[in-house]
Amino acid sequence: MQYPSQAVAKPYFIAALGLFVAQILFGLIMGLQYVVGDFLFPHIPFNVARMVHTNALIVWLLMGFMGATYYLVPEEAETELHSPRLARALFWIFLVAAALTVVGYLAVPYATLAQITGNELLPTMGREFLEQPTITKIGIVVVALGFLYNVTLTVLKGRKTAISSVLLLGLWGLALLFLFAFYNPHNLVRDKFYWWFVVHLWVEGVWELILAAILGYVLIRITGVDREVIDKWIYVIITLALVTGLIGTGHHFFWIGTPEYWQLWGSVFSALEPVPFFAMTLFAFNMVRKRRRQHPNKAATLWALGTGVMAFLGAGVWGFLHTLAPVNYYTHGTQITAAHGHMAFYGAYVMVVLTIISYAMPQMRGRAANSDAAQTVEMWGFWLMTVSMVLITLFLTGAGILQVWLQRVSADPQPFMAVQDQIALFYWMREWAGVAFLVGLVVYLASFFVGGRKEAAA
Amino acid sequence: MSTSFTTSSARNVFYGGTAFFVLLFAALVFQTESDIPQRDRREMLAQNPQVAAGKKLWENNNCIGCHSLLGEGAYFAPELGNVVDRFGGGEDGKATVKAFIQGRPAEGIPGRRSMPQFNLSEKQLDEIADFLEYVSKIDTAKWPPNIQG
Amino acid sequence: MNANALSPSPAADGVRRLPGDLAIWVFILAEMAAFAVFFAAYAFARAGNVELFDAAQETLDRGAGLANTLLLVTGGWFAAKAVHAARRDRIAAAGRALWLALACGAGFLAVKAMEYADKFAAGVSLSTNTFYLFYFSLTFFHFLHVVLGMAILAILLVRLRGGAYGSHGVLGLETGTAYWHMVDLLWIVLFPLVYVMR
Repeated sequence: MQYPSQAVAKPYFIAALGLFVAQILFGLIMGLQYVVGDFLFPHIPFNVARMVHTNALIVWLLMGFMGATYYLVPEEAETELHSPRLARALFWIFLVAAALTVVGYLAVPYATLAQITGNELLPTMGREFLEQPTITKIGIVVVALGFLYNVTLTVLKGRKTAISSVLLLGLWGLALLFLFAFYNPHNLVRDKFYWWFVVHLWVEGVWELILAAILGYVLIRITGVDREVIDKWIYVIITLALVTGLIGTGHHFFWIGTPEYWQLWGSVFSALEPVPFFAMTLFAFNMVRKRRRQHPNKAATLWALGTGVMAFLGAGVWGFLHTLAPVNYYTHGTQITAAHGHMAFYGAYVMVVLTIISYAMPQMRGRAANSDAAQTVEMWGFWLMTVSMVLITLFLTGAGILQVWLQRVSADPQPFMAVQDQIALFYWMREWAGVAFLVGLVVYLASFFVGGRKEAAA
Repeated sequence: MSTSFTTSSARNVFYGGTAFFVLLFAALVFQTESDIPQRDRREMLAQNPQVAAGKKLWENNNCIGCHSLLGEGAYFAPELGNVVDRFGGGEDGKATVKAFIQGRPAEGIPGRRSMPQFNLSEKQLDEIADFLEYVSKIDTAKWPPNIQG
Repeated sequence: MNANALSPSPAADGVRRLPGDLAIWVFILAEMAAFAVFFAAYAFARAGNVELFDAAQETLDRGAGLANTLLLVTGGWFAAKAVHAARRDRIAAAGRALWLALACGAGFLAVKAMEYADKFAAGVSLSTNTFYLFYFSLTFFHFLHVVLGMAILAILLVRLRGGAYGSHGVLGLETGTAYWHMVDLLWIVLFPLVYVMR
């Protein structure tokens, strides 16, 4: 670590991992509710567990992105962060807002939460992933603006690199697109249409810029490959990502009341969405193969390679599986979507945040890398979580295929709940894979507390 | 083979290509806004204020946290975009929807998934039913494939 | 026509190389992939609706399509001339060639706009039927590429005037014209596919 102000990333990373634990615990609750329907009912109904599960994911990824930004921007700009104090203050504001929101979800019925937070004044609640009370959303905007102010000034006063430009572009896009969360027309078709401007244009748009920038930064550091080579790869990858991903938004406009030409446009462009992810896989492997030094942090290298592979599988392959309109006609809104969502979020965004944490945390704790013993434990965590996620995805895919067949395709379509009963075995297997994921997460977290003698100096 | 590949051209291609596709996307969005009035049944919203009230209820009770609506949402409970039709359509369908919501046991059903009891008033039930009827009329390009959703 | 004008670059160093910067070729490949998927989707949709496609195809103005083909091919030739001239430091000639290439592009846009106006006047739109869905989607997508290609040519023209290209190097010019050639290549596939083939 070259600049003391980089250390503001540390609380962000720690809080991110804390929320990650919460996310997984609530995921397990939901998974169990799929097969034991009355589990924790009526105290934590499924919708509440799901809100915590998805919102915790979003918030911890945002925390991870912010931590990553605070960590890498000073190094890229070759200057101290504009205001470490602002960064620390925003951290606490964000954490407290997130905690209060979760407490709100769990303590009172959602309708009561909507009432006491004044949703009436500017109704934005009750839409998937955007369930946060309006006041929390405003808080997110305030935190994002303060954060962007801080890092933009830092970049402007220092060296401008491709990585920091791409990262800033992604972060500004993230903040601006979030403003669509405040637009909630009565007209359901338009509501859904613009809702995707937040959701799709985040995860298949600007987040990919953030992903590429973080991955590029870590690869420069651990492989020693020339920055110029990495920069070119990044530009090529994000060009492909936006060329395919922007119009690719159309794959969400097939069946929500939007015009039918979106079936063509959405299918064509989203069919190409695996390409940037494939480029990312090639990128990660090529850079590691051409490395000019043997960085002692092998775990970070593993996470970086894992991001390339799993993002391609989860976002690329599993996305492509059901993205063409004639296929999606049958799979839309089934467990196939859930399968894709799980592996894509894990493979792309969870893993890239864990990559930067794996690289940066030892540095912030005063060493180039953790001891071999700690790295071994961390890599066990990697494999346990990754293999579990592959299994979760496969089981959900199996559930989805059966669901599509029984409910949508067969000559005698059966009601939703009758079908759910028949595919319960897949849900049980998914739940056990989820338990294995939790074990992996515990092992991963334990690696932070493993000492060991061979600690390389920073 | 000595092909040129510079960072500055890679950057220019990125910014130029992105600007191009942003504009194309904007053009398609503009076209969509002019085409959806034929599909989104906005006249139902204008004629009956209960529809918008029903949408607010739908949101304030986080129905999307278990159900899907036009295939989007959670997949824990049935699709509701066509539920009024599935329950018989028209006034019959709406009455059945209301009775179902009203009849949920507060303590759930042992071992089974169950919808919470929301204690909605008769007026609120009407609003929800009108909202779901409106959704069922949206032109969704013949989705879902069958009545089971 | 001087055969040399169309050759990618002088083989002075005896090494074959890709004209222009690799970055544009990645973009060109991505764009061609998008068109390829569009074309494949067209073939797939047509196979299920042959009569509809054949009948609707009759309503297209093949003369206009042919004129546009000639305009784009000519525009491509002028762009190649511009590279050739610039390489010999004949900057004024290169500038004229770029202007003529731009004029061909503008001519294309004008003809295409008239075709669109005819169709709209006849009440035909993107949502009329599957054939027109493809007709408008493909040609409009291509239309925008002509606009982008012209914007690139305009930038090249400005930079040419600023002395950016000459015997010292024409890389940027090659990079831009490579994209312009993609635009006419795509039309050469699109025109027979949508207007003629049955």
